[in-house]
Amino acid sequence: MNVEQVLFWCAVGLYGVSASAYVFGFIAENEKLLLGGLAAAALGFAAHLVSIGARWAASTTNPFISISESLALGTFMSMAIFLLVQATSRKVRPLGVFVLPVVFILLGWAGTLRVASDSQLAPALQSPWLWVHIVGASIGFSAVLIAAGLGLMFLLKDGRSGRIYDRLPSTTDLDRLGYRFVAGGFLMYGLMIVSGALWADQAKGSYWNWDPVEVWSLVSWLIYGIYLHLRITMGWRGRRLAWYALVAVFVMIVTYWGIPFSAETFHKGFRVEHEWQPPVDGIR
Amino acid sequence: MTPLAAPTSPSPPGRTPRGPWRRTFSVISSPRLAIALLVAVLACSVAGVTVFRGERAWVVIFSTLWFNGLLVLLALSSGLTFLVRVWGRKLTLAWVGMVVFHVSFLGLLGGVVYNSFFSFKAVLRLTEGETLPNGDPASYDTIEAGRFFDFKRLRGETTLVRMHRNYKVEGQDKRSAYEIAVGEGAARTVSTIYVTQNLDLDGVRYLVSKEGYSVGIILRDRWGKELYAAMVPLQSLPEGAGNLLYTSGSIHGPSSFPFPPPPAPADLLLQVTYVPDQGKDRAGKVELATWPVSALEGSPAAVQAADPHGGAASPPPAHTGTVPVGGTFEAGNRRLEVSEVRYWVGIAVRHDPGLTLILTSLWAGLAGMAMTFAGRIWQDTKRGKRGSSGREPDAPAPREIT
Ligand code: HEM
Repeated sequence: MNVEQVLFWCAVGLYGVSASAYVFGFIAENEKLLLGGLAAAALGFAAHLVSIGARWAASTTNPFISISESLALGTFMSMAIFLLVQATSRKVRPLGVFVLPVVFILLGWAGTLRVASDSQLAPALQSPWLWVHIVGASIGFSAVLIAAGLGLMFLLKDGRSGRIYDRLPSTTDLDRLGYRFVAGGFLMYGLMIVSGALWADQAKGSYWNWDPVEVWSLVSWLIYGIYLHLRITMGWRGRRLAWYALVAVFVMIVTYWGIPFSAETFHKGFRVEHEWQPPVDGIR
Repeated sequence: MTPLAAPTSPSPPGRTPRGPWRRTFSVISSPRLAIALLVAVLACSVAGVTVFRGERAWVVIFSTLWFNGLLVLLALSSGLTFLVRVWGRKLTLAWVGMVVFHVSFLGLLGGVVYNSFFSFKAVLRLTEGETLPNGDPASYDTIEAGRFFDFKRLRGETTLVRMHRNYKVEGQDKRSAYEIAVGEGAARTVSTIYVTQNLDLDGVRYLVSKEGYSVGIILRDRWGKELYAAMVPLQSLPEGAGNLLYTSGSIHGPSSFPFPPPPAPADLLLQVTYVPDQGKDRAGKVELATWPVSALEGSPAAVQAADPHGGAASPPPAHTGTVPVGGTFEAGNRRLEVSEVRYWVGIAVRHDPGLTLILTSLWAGLAGMAMTFAGRIWQDTKRGKRGSSGREPDAPAPREIT
């Protein structure tokens, strides 16, 4: 095992420790355990950061292409935003109760799918749009993951009181913050779809092919579009939207990593011709 | 005297369905219809990646008139519903953003529909050195043209000068690049296209799509006199473990074909398989098998079956052999010379007049979303400072929090 792999598994382990500390700390209403969870999460994040850096330094391309790399980036971005939220407000510390178990499972899953990075970036990927695309996708995912965590906080706090519950922000604030993260995620996910369309147009001459990856992205984007309408147009607030955000993020995870990667992916390498080609007359 | 009928309660001006136009308008701008359409489009999309998949989803759903009609209706209905609902509200950043977003949605679908009527999408297959006229539908393997596309748009002809493998641009491997010449008479544009670089001439785009091998076969009589010569494009058939079999045949597998091909009278049935040299491009071995034309007469399936890889049902070939590129193969009273190996490529030729509107709408939509997002945060922050209830100012009253 090289340094990068060791650090990768250290990150997975630390996130696991952090997830348990958060969950048990919350159940036991033990602030110290929650603080321990945050410390383990921060250490895990440092290992995660260095492992991605080491992989990048050792490869001739960028380490964000395969499904495992994509999961590693998505969870990395989620942790970055999670830690940023933690740094700006102490009140939402228990957010880790939701975010860390999800990050732990996703990164662990990524660990089982690891392959050596490609020595060459597939020609279709050699475009600046790649960056816009993956940044949009990973921030979009992170934002709706945090929104789902805030939804869970809302559901846990609503109607309850106690040491931990009283420290959480008010349900109105949790609700409004959740909406902001969904709206921001929706925007970033929109950026991912638009850049993907422009990119496909450049590489294949068609901006939209209704292929499974595209359709699933559209479906999950529309699901968040519906969230926004339920809130803004229909006036939904609170519990129902919190549940919606929680369920929607799982749909997002399945559509983003579960389905597209099992379907046929974007053309790669020396392509295959399957149609009947009648011979052409005359070479001279 | 009959009393005058009491007037019915007056409707708000502009809301009453007065004529057929008004009635149509109020139906199209009803939120219920918009939501029903949105749900229908969502359901079809999910069905198109679960129940039906890949090619079938395209045929059964995504390419159909009814699905595209549904999209148009959705765009119209959501655009109108939105505008009717938000019209006249206070001018805020969030409001402008929302209007921009929904109008761009209309623009996007308008662009898609316009494009579908006037677009052209085809694959032009050329072997190196070959030239085909652009305006002749017979030049293309596959064609999807909009109802109002005019073939006169496709002027001149296209030549594939050469296919480059492992083509490098600033150190990056683009894998395959096609050097093509397109245009009329002497006014030809020569360009090398690769996956992230296409050629745009007069609104017609030329893009790399697929490639394969063509083997040059010269048919001679027993005294060496040339009877016929052709480049034979081969299929690349997956053979497991990432290997490809380069052979004559169809999507269903290898098979023989009449040589010379129609309309010339066939002399024999030929099966060609190319085994590329691992080190040297355009070199390697060619496996040849021939059958008498009479093998065709038994059953139409005989051509398919006349295949050395085809299993027990295949009639055995009359002659088989393997020769290097440049070599000659004796098949009874005929000689077959494998003159050379070239590449053939499939160039995607496209004309999409709606593209500018579509791409502009996409960007405008994103800008609209960003404006709404920023506007909402700004409103929120202002309200936070004033310590209000936290309700969006231009939203309806919140429903119960259950
Ligand atoms: C079924 C068709 C649609 C209708 C009837 C509709 C209607 C509306 C209306 C009335 C508003 C303003 C809400 C208010 O302030 O009262 C709105 C906002 C919005 N709509 Fe739509 N819309 C439709 C489709 C879509 C679609 C397909 C999307 C993209 C997924 C979308 C994205 C948005 C966004 C982002 C906002 C702003 C939400 C916010 O302020 O955070 N809309 N829509």
